[in-house]
Amino acid sequence: MLATRALRLVGKRAISTSVCVRGGHGVAKVEQYTLPAYFDRRENPLPDICYVQSLSPEQQSLKEKEKGSWAALSNEEKIALYRISFHQSFAEMKQGSAEWKSVVAGMFFLIGFTGLVVLWQRKFVYGPVPHTFEKEYKEKELQRMLDMRINPVEGFSAKWDYENKQWKK
Amino acid sequence: MAHPSQLGFQDAASPVMEELLHFHDHALMIVFMISTLVLYIIIAMVTTDLTNKYILDSQEIEVIWTVLPGLILILIALPSLRILYLMDEINDPHLTIKAMGHQWYWSYEYTDYEELGFDSYMIPTQDLSPGQFRLLETDHRMVVPSESPVRVLVSAEDVLHSWAVPALGVKMDAVPGRLNQTAFVASRSGVYYGQCSEICGANHSFMPIVVEAVPLEHFENWSSLMLEDA
Repeated sequence: MLATRALRLVGKRAISTSVCVRGGHGVAKVEQYTLPAYFDRRENPLPDICYVQSLSPEQQSLKEKEKGSWAALSNEEKIALYRISFHQSFAEMKQGSAEWKSVVAGMFFLIGFTGLVVLWQRKFVYGPVPHTFEKEYKEKELQRMLDMRINPVEGFSAKWDYENKQWKK
Repeated sequence: MAHPSQLGFQDAASPVMEELLHFHDHALMIVFMISTLVLYIIIAMVTTDLTNKYILDSQEIEVIWTVLPGLILILIALPSLRILYLMDEINDPHLTIKAMGHQWYWSYEYTDYEELGFDSYMIPTQDLSPGQFRLLETDHRMVVPSESPVRVLVSAEDVLHSWAVPALGVKMDAVPGRLNQTAFVASRSGVYYGQCSEICGANHSFMPIVVEAVPLEHFENWSSLMLEDA
């Protein structure tokens, strides 16, 4: 009992405070972030305050009409009331943007540019590769690896058919 | 040695390496399962339409995701420790070789019976015979008898090096002033390559290790020849 009354007091002060009196030191400045704010979040569907704080005269008369029977409200009026309380509808909140297209385009462009840089480097910066990369040398290396039975259990030489002198199918 | 663009381990040439291969398969499978689960959860979190996303506490799931990782860790630790102790078993080697690291070559000493020692330099690229492997071949190989336990005492004469042969499952740091012992059994005859595994200066990438495992009588012939040449 006492707890709920105390909490209600704290709650009221937390939400509606515009003046904060602290322990005999006078009035502290009220910061923007301590006041209730409006936000559109999917997981928090009912924000603390309405979107439109200062109502125009038409909106005010609509609010008066809302106090009566809701069946008397037309669809446009209902939508107008919704737009007073909320900024975006759930559908608007959830819709994506076309940003991903520019991200993917940028990604491809940069990858392509990197490729050009690599080609340029190969032509103008690096020297020739060692002679061991020539085709005939690689063939001799391959034959030597097979002759030496490199990785004969499950690896390299295991995949060579020594009888028929070809790779195993 | 590895074949071009090889991703996995080389075939095991010693029993310890076989154990390590199987343990790696086991641990990797667990890791894949956990990663798949986490990726699935991330994608589910990001693509959901549900809005009640902020549950604050729940005892049951907290218990599950504390106990289950603990069990998974035990499942990984038990085989791991088994292999660790396996590697340290008393093994009564038939042969002891000292591998000394220098800048930038290895030297091997076979001093059980006679005084046999030689240096093992990398063959430079321009001096390779056709078909030899670039940056892996050496002028003298460390020849060992196959299917015999071999003890290797690794040390260094100048800076830190590390004696590593992946196919045998062996890596041991070469620390100046310190003798580190490792052992292996080459299960099958063959040539096994490795490279220095501790940064040691300009030619750290150019001081490879080649171990040639041959049947015992070939080893005896080789050591006699080497002693004559010395």
